[in-house]
Amino acid sequence: MTCDYPIRGVAVINLFTALARWLLGAMFFGEGLSKALHPADFLKLLHQYDLTQHAWVLNFIAASLPWFEIFCGLLLLAGVAVRGTALTLTVMLVLFTLLVLHRALLLQVAGHIPFCAVKFDCGCGTGAEFICRKLMVNSLLLVMSAWLLAGRGRQFCLRYSVFGR
Amino acid sequence: MNGPTVQAEVADRVSAVSRILREAVYVTVAGVIFAFAANLVSPRGLALTRNYFPTGTNTAMRAAVMVRAPVIVADTNAAVPAYPPWLGEQLKQKGLQLTDGQQAVQLFHNSRLKQGVIVFVDAREEDDYLAGHIPGAYELDPFHPEKYFPVVLPACRAAEQIVVYCNGGDCDDSQTAALLLRDVGIRTGKIFVYGGGMTEWTNYHQPLEIGPRNSGRMNITVQ
Repeated sequence: MTCDYPIRGVAVINLFTALARWLLGAMFFGEGLSKALHPADFLKLLHQYDLTQHAWVLNFIAASLPWFEIFCGLLLLAGVAVRGTALTLTVMLVLFTLLVLHRALLLQVAGHIPFCAVKFDCGCGTGAEFICRKLMVNSLLLVMSAWLLAGRGRQFCLRYSVFGR
Repeated sequence: MNGPTVQAEVADRVSAVSRILREAVYVTVAGVIFAFAANLVSPRGLALTRNYFPTGTNTAMRAAVMVRAPVIVADTNAAVPAYPPWLGEQLKQKGLQLTDGQQAVQLFHNSRLKQGVIVFVDAREEDDYLAGHIPGAYELDPFHPEKYFPVVLPACRAAEQIVVYCNGGDCDDSQTAALLLRDVGIRTGKIFVYGGGMTEWTNYHQPLEIGPRNSGRMNITVQ
């Protein structure tokens, strides 16, 4: 009877990991799709960040990022190259979160309002959101992404690693 | 744990990290190729080399300023403009002219509108245009101009006054569309940017046309 606990624990972790992978994949797929369907809107939102003065750099980011997110989302949903995808998403999430935070701080200073009262469309594909909520969601996504990166759970994957290990 | 075992474990971990890094590089390269291919075949895809923001304005900074000095939505009684105070100067620097709500309404009710001497150009997205636009306005989404140029350019060439508008407020699509028209040879002297845009137009309770141009489906907001 006592031997069942670790086995059951592993099964729960595996199930949790699969759910986290599907959730993360679905979120990136959905948010990517909403941007890919309206690339001009995404381009306008991206322009607000003042990332670059070169029009073509902005175009490259706006044209590729939504589809790139869809691609990564599909890989996670199917369970292909999971750790490599998780690493890519972790890097992306850290960058996105820093950019959103920077813009929120600008708006807070300009508006003389409490930080959590700052609400804007960050171009994340989810419309206008309060910054504190956005940061919490991103933190959760980062934790899930890091969990996958750590190599937890390989169930329900088509090809967990492209190198076959 | 002896030395060789520790060394083997370290080597294993280094190898695992290396595999993850290589996998991430493969995913990134494949993803980027997929992304550009998808953008290329997508009917809504962006042209990579086009400058979509010829106005050069930074909406981020403008938005920050707007928090302190918000744009006041036009009121028919107070006749307050529904556009930022610096818009007129900004347009002037680009050789364009600003028109306000009252002038736009006067131009709309001018008999020369029906003769095509005065032309309205809607610079919003297609969905917004179809939901309601200034009656008879031509569509020119500046993000997909090639789609609209065959219809809108002959009309603009023939017209003596062209009024370009978008949603108003901090929307700069009307400026972008006006600059596009300028760049294809339309004389700037006859291009006017209606700063208040659709927000002001509806506040003035002016008629709207639903669906495509000249659909005849009108919607008049009752005051």
